[in-house]
Amino acid sequence: MMVKRKLKTQMFKKILIANRGEIAVRIIKGCKEMGISTVAVYSEVDRRSLHVQIADEAVCIGPPPAVESYLDMDRIIDAAKQIGAEAIHPGYGFLAENAEFARRCEKEKVVFIGPNSHALELVGDKVRSRQTLEKAGIPIIPGMKAIVREISAFKKEARKIGYPVMIKASAGGGGKGMRVVYNENDLTPALEAGMREAKSAFGDESVYLEKYIEEPRHVEFQVLADNHGNVVHLFERECSIQRRHQKIVEETPSQALDPELRSRMGETARRVMRVSGYNNAGTVEFLLDKDKNFYFLEVNARLQVEHPVTELTTGVDLVHQQILIASGEKLRFSQDELVQKGHAIECRIYAEDPHNNFLPSSGKVLYLKEPRGPGVRHDCGIYSGSEVPIFYDPILAKLIVWAENRDMACQRIINALDDYVILGIQTTITFLRDVIDDPRFRKGETTTSFIPNYFGDWTGDKASEEKHQVALLAAAFDSFQASHSGTGMKAEKKQVYSPWHSLGRWRLGGK
Amino acid sequence: MEFEFLINDVLQKISLEKKDNHYFFSDDKKTYRADIQYVSPNQISILVEQRSYLVHFAQDRDNRYFCIGGQQFVVTEPSEEGGESIRRGEERTPEGTLLVKAPMPGKVIKINVAEQETVRKNQTLAIVEAMKMENEIKASIDGTIKMIHVTEGDLVDSENPMIELEPAS
Repeated sequence: MMVKRKLKTQMFKKILIANRGEIAVRIIKGCKEMGISTVAVYSEVDRRSLHVQIADEAVCIGPPPAVESYLDMDRIIDAAKQIGAEAIHPGYGFLAENAEFARRCEKEKVVFIGPNSHALELVGDKVRSRQTLEKAGIPIIPGMKAIVREISAFKKEARKIGYPVMIKASAGGGGKGMRVVYNENDLTPALEAGMREAKSAFGDESVYLEKYIEEPRHVEFQVLADNHGNVVHLFERECSIQRRHQKIVEETPSQALDPELRSRMGETARRVMRVSGYNNAGTVEFLLDKDKNFYFLEVNARLQVEHPVTELTTGVDLVHQQILIASGEKLRFSQDELVQKGHAIECRIYAEDPHNNFLPSSGKVLYLKEPRGPGVRHDCGIYSGSEVPIFYDPILAKLIVWAENRDMACQRIINALDDYVILGIQTTITFLRDVIDDPRFRKGETTTSFIPNYFGDWTGDKASEEKHQVALLAAAFDSFQASHSGTGMKAEKKQVYSPWHSLGRWRLGGK
Repeated sequence: MEFEFLINDVLQKISLEKKDNHYFFSDDKKTYRADIQYVSPNQISILVEQRSYLVHFAQDRDNRYFCIGGQQFVVTEPSEEGGESIRRGEERTPEGTLLVKAPMPGKVIKINVAEQETVRKNQTLAIVEAMKMENEIKASIDGTIKMIHVTEGDLVDSENPMIELEPAS
């Protein structure tokens, strides 16, 4: 069912962004480009975060845990009404795919920038949407067709599907709650952990099982659907490079598709959205097996983390489109007018320590140097001096490049990763560089088993002798300065930079 | 001047002398001349035999961090005892009791053992969540749980012990 809105459209004057980090920053910038005033919301621990700094207005919505702030519908809707925002952009994660939230917004006459609550409910319920789509002739991975709660019922279902099976969060995406189980002995603990993770990430512990297809490619299609029944796809993104079922590198076009398959999958994606009564931006995910059979996986009813690769190759700004669609406008282009140009790759920069089993790394960003150059885009939620709290997703930023072809894009993103400095917390930058530089990646041999197969025992101890020597030299120089110029580095820095220097030389400690 | 640093946990020595506007440093075989300058509060430019390196650096209470061409190096002063580095997330009391700490700051979401319980190596003792990912804290040895300092729901750092584990005799 499509929600009817007045045909006479009026652009929003003020939008509240119900998110944090790099995606809040990206959406705020998109709003500003359209001349729309922006409202950030933040938890107590995010007072100094970048999204708060760049928004026109900012409202504190509670304590650090997400359930008491970014997941608190009452506080967010109250904030929007009190400050006079006509629409809420939920970003990704948090409340982005929460049908209850979309419904509350509809009731409170605040526009939810996303799909209508009925479509959200349908595609958000992975089990029900599978039933609906299977009936509509969409190819589906074998799996559970109803919600169960008891472990014994899961065991029965798993036997019916046949091991290995995949546990997935009903309400979720982004790898949270997901587990592969190879035999019945491992099912119970995996279900418990999956339910706990699903509960903490989405506030809903429902999980379901489906057949685990080994070594597939993950290929998804970006779709835009306006409120007037027009649906287009903006081609694919391949997101096969995943760690713990979490995408880390995405690109478009996929090396696995030819024009015929691309068009067939794209048309299937459009049909999924039509059958679901979907509007606004969404993504239809497929698994593509070795024989080029594709299976519908799920709909991601939100702006995706990896949306920039589509933007760079199609020239369409997806955040602008979301806002235009939500305000009631018709799509201004048809399927035939959309073309892909060149190649784009994205790397997700996580606050995780690749040298220490990818443990989350929170703390202060002492220094950030953003990579720059032709064809380089950096969507970023941190700055030199910002704190990375323990409460939220570890994504810090995304590095995206565009180039005329895939080889150039690979080389460009490697150079950009080399040029990218984050000091003080651990990040995945060096790991990502090695992934892109791997000859199998360069040849396009990407499957969802790529990381477990080739990078499972990555140690990253490839720091060259030369760089090690340079680090030693720099450390010695810095210590040398410290012991020779009284206050050392700080004193020399003052000489170079301090505006006080022109007032005359002064020494700390007065020795 | 002689310097000793732990660079990414490896002990390294270097000698550095300043003459005129250049620095001379040597390894076992050779002495090199380097032109080294701060170019910003977080950047050092180094020229050695016409090779140019830009080093980014920053420091916090315990460490200095240097980054060269995408590679990060953590530099610390060697400890007084001559530094056997302790495995992250663990420490021993003088009596030999193992102090189990969270490997990163986070929230205790489950404690899987009770005081006085005997545990096997690799058994999960507790689950700590940070940034929405669960991390299992495992026993690194066979032993007995002597004391548990935290309860489910507690926020923990990586410095204070969560659990005390008495090694099996």
